[in-house]
Amino acid sequence: MKRIIFLIFYFTFFTNANAVVTIDITRGNLEPLPAAISNFYIDNPEKFSESIKKLNLDKNLPKVITENLKRSGLFYVLDPKSYIQDPKLSHLKPRFEDWALIKAQIMVSGKLKIDEKNRLRVEFRLWDVVSAKEMEGLALFATPSSWRRIAHIISDKIYQRLTGEEGYFDTRIIYVAESGPKDQRVKKLAIMDQDGDNNKYLTLGNELVLTPRFSPNSKMVTYMSYFKNLPRVYLLNIETGIQEVVGDFPGMTFAPRFSPDGKKIIMSFSRDGNSDIYTMDLNTRVVDQLTNHPAIDTSPSYSPDGKYIAFNSDRNGQQQIYVMRSNGKGVTRISKGNGLYGTPVWSPRGDLIAFTKIYKEKFYIGVMRTDGTGERLLTENFYQEAPSWSPNGRVLIYYRETAAGAGGRGASAKLWSIDITGYNEIKLKTQTDASDPNWSSLLSK
Amino acid sequence: MILKNIKNLALVLVLGFLVSACATSQKIGNKEDYYTGTDTVKFLAAGVPDRVFFATNRSTLHSGAKATLDKQAAYLISSKLKVVIEGHADERGTREYNLALGSRRANAVRDYLLSKGVPKAQLKTISYGKERPVNPKSDRLAWSQNRRAVTVKAN
Amino acid sequence: MYRSLSLSVLFHTFVILITAFTLPFVIKKPIDVPPIISIDLIQISEKTNLPFAPKAREIIDKIKEEKERVVTKQAPPKIIKKEKPDAVPNPDDIKKKIKETKKKQNPEEVKEEIRQSSEFEKKELFDPNKISALIDKSKEEFAQIQQKQSLDITQNQDSSVSLNKGLTITQEDAVRAQIYKCWNIPIGLPYNEDLTVKIRLKLKPDGSILSSEILNHARMNMPGQGFYRVLAESALRAVKLCDPLKMPTTGHEKWGDLQLNFDAKEMLKG
Repeated sequence: MKRIIFLIFYFTFFTNANAVVTIDITRGNLEPLPAAISNFYIDNPEKFSESIKKLNLDKNLPKVITENLKRSGLFYVLDPKSYIQDPKLSHLKPRFEDWALIKAQIMVSGKLKIDEKNRLRVEFRLWDVVSAKEMEGLALFATPSSWRRIAHIISDKIYQRLTGEEGYFDTRIIYVAESGPKDQRVKKLAIMDQDGDNNKYLTLGNELVLTPRFSPNSKMVTYMSYFKNLPRVYLLNIETGIQEVVGDFPGMTFAPRFSPDGKKIIMSFSRDGNSDIYTMDLNTRVVDQLTNHPAIDTSPSYSPDGKYIAFNSDRNGQQQIYVMRSNGKGVTRISKGNGLYGTPVWSPRGDLIAFTKIYKEKFYIGVMRTDGTGERLLTENFYQEAPSWSPNGRVLIYYRETAAGAGGRGASAKLWSIDITGYNEIKLKTQTDASDPNWSSLLSK
Repeated sequence: MILKNIKNLALVLVLGFLVSACATSQKIGNKEDYYTGTDTVKFLAAGVPDRVFFATNRSTLHSGAKATLDKQAAYLISSKLKVVIEGHADERGTREYNLALGSRRANAVRDYLLSKGVPKAQLKTISYGKERPVNPKSDRLAWSQNRRAVTVKAN
Repeated sequence: MYRSLSLSVLFHTFVILITAFTLPFVIKKPIDVPPIISIDLIQISEKTNLPFAPKAREIIDKIKEEKERVVTKQAPPKIIKKEKPDAVPNPDDIKKKIKETKKKQNPEEVKEEIRQSSEFEKKELFDPNKISALIDKSKEEFAQIQQKQSLDITQNQDSSVSLNKGLTITQEDAVRAQIYKCWNIPIGLPYNEDLTVKIRLKLKPDGSILSSEILNHARMNMPGQGFYRVLAESALRAVKLCDPLKMPTTGHEKWGDLQLNFDAKEMLKG
């Protein structure tokens, strides 16, 4: 009996399997995903003080999310004027047909509340409009003044749910704010949220400052300063504001970066005009010399596992990218194309190295695999350099300068970002001219 | 070949001021695009130009530069003036590499002056990379004027 | 020589020490810095299985019929296809390409042709018969090629029909074309990962979807399979947006059970 049942099962399955027509779908449209981001509704307006009301969080919080998602290039956010359903019902009981009507495929709704501890509670839901189901729902608490960070964290959650990888919106960018004529440029350290908001200057501009870089936990910054006309690498604690010189080198130290464990700083030291790569342990203050070559060795960058270091050197006669083990052994040239290669930066995923290439008077930002194969140039311009990775390894930020006319007219320096596919190149909003950007890790991690 | 030359150069830099005979022809570099004009040039004293110019990505001193530095050396020895040698690069390189290049240029001048008998205590160096151009325009002429090492009075 | 070298070394060390001791070791200067605020995250609900969802589906179906008439202003814009990943061509590549094309042109051959034609002109310059013969020959060849092509086409059609189950190639293409339009490929997916999502569809005779099911559904909720889930959900949306599919009026027994294999790799590679 059992056998017969098995046979029947087997037979039906077998015949079924045979009858299935299989079609491979290998094409589709590569347009950004159409999304609707509803205004959030306010649950207990009587608890909202005048100052909080002025923030217009019901509109501005979704707006920050909208801007984030748009800037990623992966989403197209539909005009809120076309939304039919009101924010409250959208959050509690969305009529998916209303959202499908305007061709949204996903929808974000939310609720704002001031809780008994006077904290702002933001609740959001991410809906799959087409499949008529909820994809994500979270509530976040914070002081009302930090509503922007809530918006960034929500953006990250949406990004992660819809792309399968971590977002990069709850992050900051440290950079050099520039002003004044080109030959007397005033440079200040500045920090801002990834979307350009919340800009703060960290130095006054009395001395030249260059190349700030975050520590892995984004609480420290290492940079180069010409304080007292002694060009040295400095360390700045962002939380306490305390600065110090890194090591006591009898000459210029420059091009600093943190090791992935945050315990060391790797940099160049120029002794009698010759630049070699050194590390200094921040706890023990022990200094290690990694390269010893009469050529210029600079722009060092660790691999995320800390085992390798990429740097650029002109030891073969012109600037090229080399990789060595973290003890300085096994130096191998990896850049192989024509032209000059500099500023190697290891991606957070560890599989790619971003670089600047100079070829025939043009500057390119590109990526290559860590053995130098698979070189892809993402963007070409008159002058651009110093790429820095988003924490998820998806986007590069760099600075670009325009050619100047007589007397330096028309000179500008701006921050740009590009997806590593070569799509979605955009200019970042900064209050002043800007250069040397460096992307923090996710702050909420 | 180039590598060998760089090694030679390094040797010269170390022994230069002791064995002045070694610091002679160092002809490396394929592009001789250094600035030969007199615009932007200032004077430490009458007849003593304050700066020398370099070819793209190079830090070697051509004969004209050496002639200038000979004058500087004589003046510095006689005046006992303390100076800072500022090394500069043009804007057509990456920032960090340019800092190293400026340092290399300043030290090429320093080593030459030392080789001519200028006391070490009178000389300091600093590199500004591409940060302080003398001509802010973006063209070949401006870039050649910006690839320079300038000897300035120390404060 | 040796004495002076050691002298210099001593002198150097002295200078280095002097510089080292006059350096500002630690410069403290407080800075105004924005504070880091900690934010609590709370999961509000694991699942909200909305009871009205199926009903909404029905309404969506209804609306779909009306949709044809409704002109929505808010259709997503046609994003102008930006240049591909290799947008900025590697200058070396350009060089190579130019070289290659130059090679292909092969100047020697060109010369020979010129020479031949000039000979031809000399010897048989005004022989109209020969020229017409040449023309005829080319016509003949053309006709032959055409014949062959049409033969190929009919052969193709024959073979597809003779399968006697499933769809013909043109019918398959028709299904494909419909899905292509409905499928928004998640462009954030990594282009170098092998991902295929298989969806089993049961269709009604009118082409509307009776059921859709992801064959490897369990994988969607496995940890570390975020990309698979993203692709699977996009595929499900594509299928639903395409409901009902335009299918042949006959042969439901052949196409009523359909499997779609979604693979975005080629598109993401660019």
